[in-house]
Amino acid sequence: MASVLPIRPARLVAGAGLALAIAALVALVLWSILSVETAGPSGSASTPDVPHLLRMTLLQAGLTTVLSLFIGTAMAWALNRLDFPGKPLVVATFASAIVTPGMVVAFGLIAVWGRSGWFTSLTGIEVPIFGLGGILAAHVILDAAFAARILLARLDAIPLTRLKTGQSLGLSAWRRFALIDWPALRGTMPGLASIIFLLAFTSFPIVLLLGGGPANQTLEVAIYTAVRLDFNLPGAVQLAMLQMAICSLIILAASAAAPIPSSLGPAGHQTWRDRPGPRLVQAIILALAAIGFAMPLLAVLIDGIGPGLGPLLARPVLWQALGTSLLIGSASALLTLILALGLAAGRAASGATGFRLGVGLPTYAYLAIPAVVLALGFFLLARRLGASPEAVAPAVVILGNSLLALPFAMATLAPPLDAIARSQGRLIRALGLSGRAQFLLVEWPLIGRDIGVVLALSFCFSLGDLGVISLFGTQDFTTLPLLMQRSLSSYRTNDAGSIAAIMLILTVLAFALLPPLFKRLADARA
Amino acid sequence: MVNLTRFALAVLAGLAFAPAHADEPPVLGILTYDGFAADWGPGPGLTAEFIKDCGCDVKFIAADSSIGALRKVQLDPTNQGIDIVLGLDTAIAGEARTTGLFVEHGLDTSGLALPTPWTDATFVPFDWGYFAYVYNTQKLAGPPKSFKDLIALPDDFKIAIQDPRSATPGLGHLLWIKAAYGDEAPAIWQGLKPHILTMTREWSESYALFLDGEVDMVLSYTTSPAYHAIADGDPNFAFAEFSEGHLPQIEVAGILKSSAKQELARKFLAFLISKRAQAIIPTTNWMYPVIDMPDLPPAFSVQPRPAKVLAIDEAEITSQSGKWIDEALAAIQ
Repeated sequence: MASVLPIRPARLVAGAGLALAIAALVALVLWSILSVETAGPSGSASTPDVPHLLRMTLLQAGLTTVLSLFIGTAMAWALNRLDFPGKPLVVATFASAIVTPGMVVAFGLIAVWGRSGWFTSLTGIEVPIFGLGGILAAHVILDAAFAARILLARLDAIPLTRLKTGQSLGLSAWRRFALIDWPALRGTMPGLASIIFLLAFTSFPIVLLLGGGPANQTLEVAIYTAVRLDFNLPGAVQLAMLQMAICSLIILAASAAAPIPSSLGPAGHQTWRDRPGPRLVQAIILALAAIGFAMPLLAVLIDGIGPGLGPLLARPVLWQALGTSLLIGSASALLTLILALGLAAGRAASGATGFRLGVGLPTYAYLAIPAVVLALGFFLLARRLGASPEAVAPAVVILGNSLLALPFAMATLAPPLDAIARSQGRLIRALGLSGRAQFLLVEWPLIGRDIGVVLALSFCFSLGDLGVISLFGTQDFTTLPLLMQRSLSSYRTNDAGSIAAIMLILTVLAFALLPPLFKRLADARA
Repeated sequence: MVNLTRFALAVLAGLAFAPAHADEPPVLGILTYDGFAADWGPGPGLTAEFIKDCGCDVKFIAADSSIGALRKVQLDPTNQGIDIVLGLDTAIAGEARTTGLFVEHGLDTSGLALPTPWTDATFVPFDWGYFAYVYNTQKLAGPPKSFKDLIALPDDFKIAIQDPRSATPGLGHLLWIKAAYGDEAPAIWQGLKPHILTMTREWSESYALFLDGEVDMVLSYTTSPAYHAIADGDPNFAFAEFSEGHLPQIEVAGILKSSAKQELARKFLAFLISKRAQAIIPTTNWMYPVIDMPDLPPAFSVQPRPAKVLAIDEAEITSQSGKWIDEALAAIQ
């Protein structure tokens, strides 16, 4: 296998170096927590029932993963086949689900399906959305739509020549899926499964909000308690390491099962339509998806664009937060892209399973480490380095957000880069292309659109999370999500609703604009 | 714009240290929770009032919560730039005291108007309220009058509460039940179980569920109805008075031993319990003032305050709360 790959020592070194750097950072974070001396004894500690938490978490995360991948595949299949007005906007909306703050989606879900929600008001039927079912519903909305977006990119990238061959053979819709689509999708499945599993495994506020009580909680809750309430830091690190070990096992198992992605060539506008029966199924899938996925987001928009929006827009603090969020989002997006390209290209340049795993595993680190542990570790690390927390806060947020978005970026970029290395490797070697030429002439034209997706993803992710600097104590450093949370905790639910709507619009815009823009840039180059 | 520029510079430089000038007035650093320092919270008003005659500047530093603020000073005992920790509540004051990070305030607090006379030499109270279930009077005509009443209601009567491990009022709720029922508390939790729609991470999420109409009552404060009456002009909110009595939550501030500005910090705490500062707090932090205030907006007293006041021993909270949390969670699991 390795013989067909272009020889790229610089890429191997860069990929390995980045992976090592991330692993070292994780080790430093944990070490700084274990080595800190704290003032005062901790109070009385509660004792979590870890086996119970693990059982519930594994069940919930496993179900979330299976459901999300199944529904996501069905949605990608339907979206790939059907053409309709406004499709780009629908695709952008689906993609935006995963980067929308989880709580926003959860409240959108409640606005549609809750006791006082649209559905119950219209039909009089009460839907039990609190409990395991509600957790799964919110997770699937976040994760299946994301899976659909990533899988759709793979289907859209199937070379026209393959499609023409299939069409001339008169394949049925099912045979077409099995012979042409599935080989293009399966290389992406392990990465997606790992991400979705990790997201569900470490989910915290959604699990508490929709879980209906302690029966459905995750290990993350116990870790949070150990850090915050009990202040039992060694115990927290132990639990965090348990969580990381389980997550690593899942990623390793998924990666080991990963097949080599199929070929990738120039894709174009396809004209091959399935027969009426399957087309009807596709239309039904899309209609259901629109109801299930778009309605909660629509509820957020309708709730947010109310009479409260005007006064909010007149507040300087909103514009300040918006400016900060845009700056952080842009910087994080660039950093994420650089990291993901470096890691994915390094991984694709190697045929050795061990090396590929070693480069891939650290990219998930940020999903597996509890946010509260990261926040603590970063704070202690900054203090140890003698840096003023306030001064380094922006840099830490950008780094933290980039590393958070990294697995998603890898899931988008790694499969096509792998496919290129394998399908065009001989050609690249025969032509004696340099690494730079390989990127500009072969890779960039094929992954330009994916780069747009990565930028949109990481930009939107990074509008988001500030958990990582929660201990830094920064008064002037306000972003949109922080302002939303602050409004919520001061009775100002209307402000919070409007900010959620603004963030949602920014997110959909990023996804509607960036991928096509980069596709055009790439096409212009090709 | 200034902030944007400064932010951009900080990003570029990575590490930028604020220059200090000898001729600038001293800056009093106050670590508090997010909502207190917010631009609609008490922070800006208190700052404006205090700097009028202190010859100093005030800087609020926001942690994500009061417990976050305590953990921050525990993790970094040098605490550069922080002189006062403000916003700890009675449930964690005991633990904060045992850290030995705080000094005595030396102020006379005997004249304060609190449910019980204030004798704490370390912490100064600045506002308070009672934990209570809040409801909408237009939607719920006959609210339950006790925990036992609530438990006896049909299962479709729903409440939203907060996780005692993550939210301050969630812990307060647990202590309230403990103060009222002692060893019988687990039975009360078991009775509450069918009514708990969910137990959220933060107060804000429970309260949003309540405002969305997903629950009949939410665990909050006796002062919450005043917010709706004053800020929204909506008088249709009330708290359900329980015959078992109510547990007060008292928010306190303390001076760090590590502070080099002890005198200035003491001056601020004295200001905090003065009429000038107390007048700002009720309508910005939505809690009762700690002094008698004849011109307190009537929305705070339109419903009589709970007749029976509960208390729970601070040392017992510090040593037993972990056990109590386990016991409550087991009862509703």
